[in-house]
This record gives sequence, structure tokens and C-alpha cells, in this order.
Amino acid sequence: MTIDYIDKAAQWFCTIIAVLMVCLLLSLFVFIAKESLPIWLTEGVITIIAGSSWAPLTTPPRIGILTMFLSTLWASCGAMAIAVPLGICCAVFLSEFAPLWASFAIRTTLRVLTGIPSVVYGFLGASVVIPWYEKIVGLSSGESLFCASLVLSIMVVPYIVAGTYTALQAIPDEYRETGYSLGVSPVHVTCRILLPIARRNMVSSISLAFGRAAGETMAVLMLAGNTLTLPFSWFSKGEPLSALIALEIGSADVGSPHYQGIFAAGLLLLLLTSVISFAINYTNIRGRQP
Amino acid sequence: MKTRHYQESLWYFTFCASGILLAGVLIAILGLLLFRGSNELTWEFLTTGPKGLFLGMEGGIYPAIMGTIALLVIATSAATLPALATAVYLTEYSTSSRFSWVIDIIIRSMVGLPSILIGLFGYAFFVLYLDFGISLISGALTLAIMVFPTLVILMRDALCSVNADYRLAGLLLGVSRWYILRRVVLPQAAPSLFGAVLLAMGHAAGATAPIMVTAAVIAARAPSRLLEPVMALPYHLYILFSQYVSLEKAYATALILVVLLLTFNVLSVALRLLLPGKEGFKL
Repeated sequence: MTIDYIDKAAQWFCTIIAVLMVCLLLSLFVFIAKESLPIWLTEGVITIIAGSSWAPLTTPPRIGILTMFLSTLWASCGAMAIAVPLGICCAVFLSEFAPLWASFAIRTTLRVLTGIPSVVYGFLGASVVIPWYEKIVGLSSGESLFCASLVLSIMVVPYIVAGTYTALQAIPDEYRETGYSLGVSPVHVTCRILLPIARRNMVSSISLAFGRAAGETMAVLMLAGNTLTLPFSWFSKGEPLSALIALEIGSADVGSPHYQGIFAAGLLLLLLTSVISFAINYTNIRGRQP
Repeated sequence: MKTRHYQESLWYFTFCASGILLAGVLIAILGLLLFRGSNELTWEFLTTGPKGLFLGMEGGIYPAIMGTIALLVIATSAATLPALATAVYLTEYSTSSRFSWVIDIIIRSMVGLPSILIGLFGYAFFVLYLDFGISLISGALTLAIMVFPTLVILMRDALCSVNADYRLAGLLLGVSRWYILRRVVLPQAAPSLFGAVLLAMGHAAGATAPIMVTAAVIAARAPSRLLEPVMALPYHLYILFSQYVSLEKAYATALILVVLLLTFNVLSVALRLLLPGKEGFKL
């Protein structure tokens, strides 16, 4: 009988810990929202999101985060524009065309790539990609959203490759065999049969990669140039939301408009990324248990 | 027919080229780190503190290595038990499927959360609200929150991969779930659970953004107290490069950091492959 008490106790312990930890995770949303609340009320949501000048230390402070928001979008969408075609083509190669040993070797190295921290990518990007870019374009300072996108795309491409590869591998061989026996070439089978079937999982891995790219800090901090002008093109400099937070939070006086403005930027980034990841997980879990 | 043929060759070529391109980039990254980093790598570099006019120009990275290790040890020991309990709850003890579904989806959604936001939360909560200041403990707890969701998911997979027949057989014999958990499921899953902890350590070791705002400073002694700020490898790398201190030292630091992370990853994979879970009993 005593064993049963232990069982009950363990069950309660695990349940309570699980609920507490989830509350702690949710308090992250509460904290970031709470710290930024005053600035949303005094300045107004429209002024903050659509305002393009960031001068939190002047009186009255100007808290506009449109510049950083656009930089985030440029950098992450640009990274996706490079990483999505590259990742999908690479996954198709690994799953359908590469010899087994090569596929295994490339997948292992890709797994290794995901383990390399973002600061190392940022460092390599800044010390290798930027000088190279400066030489090609003929500029004296090459830091730009384009370079940030380039490095970000290498960072997120493993997620796209892994997602697409798994989706392709999950398709039963009957589809391929039927295609071949009808006399259709492997390329045609891939483009017209396999990729459309895998589309759903590909979309979710692409959204995952987009979330990673949008929230990435160190690489964009070291590569995007950190200027506060409105980025009109992919090749201009910019300061994404994450870089703004990392650079300025330490120097902002607690409770000042500056501090609240940074938390407002954090809240915007939080909403952008958590909506994406919630949507992926919701559809994934729904898809699995009908 | 001819155009179709060309089109197909073009696609085939694109597929192969992108695969080879990515493989090339990988080899280039690792090769570059090894080539440029190994020059500066000496025993002295690993065992002395940073020196020089601009700190870090000469000398080594000993305090940063120790700082990173201290952060890792505290962060993973703080996160492991709650993560294990949550994973056990999700796999063994959940009674209401709707409730555990909500917990599951929240934790899954937190995995992809940008690390800078966790740093921002850590800054507001640990550094300011709990008044720990910029310190080892703030940084370690922030990292613990960062790795917690990943850890739960990895541990949950480890527990789920234990053969379900064992659980059924145990329940049929009238043994409590706790007994099955302690005697069968946990021993079976142990290597995967350790692997999960190692992966989480690797994840935490490379995270720069969260500790940049909660724990790391440009110069500090090797960590001795919880409420003091520390140096950390990733932040040191960032400073070495962005303050133009020393490119060579930066390459060596990056190499050390990557080697540290790869060791964690390789160990975690090896643990799962080489050590099969202890056999409970055979059916």
C-alpha cells in the first residue's frame, strides 16, 4: 500500500513542477508586456510601430521602432530568399539523387552546423564575408542587411534541409516506382509527385527557419551595420530589433522611456516569432492526432 | 522532347550543385576555423587570463573558459530536474489529455523563442526584479530557462522510445506506475536522458545573447561567487572581434568554443548509439 502513496506523490510532484514551469515560461510574456506597457499607453501603438525615429534620450523621447522592424524583415526575408531554394534543392539531392554515403556525410555535417553558435557565424561573417563583399562592390564598409542575410541563410538552411529531407523520406517508395514504371524521369517524379506531397512539412520547416532568422541576434549584430536610418533596400545598413535590444538594454535607465521602448521592441519581436511557432505547432499536433 | 531533356538536366544539375555547394561551405567553415585558430592555440592561451593594453590583446582565455563551464554546470543542474519531472508528467502521469496538450504546445512553442528575448526576460526578472545584478546566477538561471523547453522535448522523446510493452506488462502485473518508472523506464532511457542533457549543455554554451545582458562582462576573474559577473567564451569572442582587440585571438577563441560544443554533441550521439539502455526484462 505504501508504494501507492509514493506513486501518488510522484504524480503530484511531476504535475506541480510541470504547471509551475509552464507558468514561469508564460511569465516571460507577462514581464515583457508589463515592462513595456507604460510606453504603449503614453505614446500610442501607431506612433511606436509606424514611427521611424529612435531618440529615446531626448525630451520628449521619440520611440519609433519601424526602422528596426523593417531591418528585421529585410534581414530575415532576405535570408529566406537564399535559404529556401538552396535548402529544398539540397534536400532533394540528398534524398533522391545522392549516393548513400554522400547523403549520410552531408547530413552529418549539416547536423554539426546547427551546433555551431551564432556568435561564431557572426564572427566568421564579419571577418571573411564582409571584406570579400567590400572588395567586390568597392565600398569602404561592407556591413549591410545583405551580408547579414547571407550569413543567416547559412545558419537556417540546415532546418530547411532536415525538414524537407524527412518529408521526402516519409513518402512511400510506391509513388516513385509507379512513376518510373510509367516511364517518367526521376526529376519529373520529384518535381511533380514528391515535392507536392511533401509541401505541408516543407512549409512548417520553412516557418521554423524564418522564426530562427527573425530572432537571431549575434550574427545580425555583427553584420548589419547598426545604423538607425530607414532601410530602403536590401543592401543598406540597418539595426534589427534583436540587435537593438542586445546593444541598448544594458545602458537604459530602469523605468525610463528608453527602457520601456526596448521592451516594446522586445514585445513586437516576441509576437512575431511566437505567433509563427505557435501556428506551426498547432497545425503539427492537430495533424498528428485527428 | 529536346527542351524537356535540357530542362531535366538543368534541374538535376541544380539539385546536385546545391548539395555540393552546402557541403563546400561546411568544410570551408570548419577548415577556416582550424587553419586560422590553431596558430594561437597554446597551453598558455588556455591557462592564463587576458592581458595587454586592450585587455585580451595578449594572454589567454582561462577565466572565460571557467566562466562558461560554471554557467553551464549551474544552468543544466537547475534545468534538468524540472525538465525530467515535466517530461515524466507528459509521458506517464497526465490524466487529462486536453490539459497536457496545452502544456505540450506551450513548451513546443517556446523552443523557437529568440534567445535575446529570454535574455530580456532574465534581465527584467533576475537582474532587476530579484536584484541579483549582472551575475553568474542571473546568467545561469536565464540559460536554464532557455534550455528547459529543448530539454523537455528531448527527454520526452527518450521516455517515449522505451518499449511500451514494458509498461503494459508492469501494469498487468499490478505494479504501480512509479515502480515501473523507477525500475524499468528510467534505467532504459538513461543514456538518452544523459544525451539530452549534453545536447542542452552544448546549446547553452554557445548562447551569447542571453548572457550578454545578464552575466557576462569584458574582464573578470575565474568565477568564485554566484553574485559576481563572469567572463564567458562566446561573449569574449564577440568583444575580441567587435572592439578590434585581436583577430588571431578571436579565431583561437572561436575554435575552442566550437571544439567544446562539438564535443558535447558527439558525446551525446555516442552515448545514445554505443550504450543501449539497461535491459529491464525481456518479454
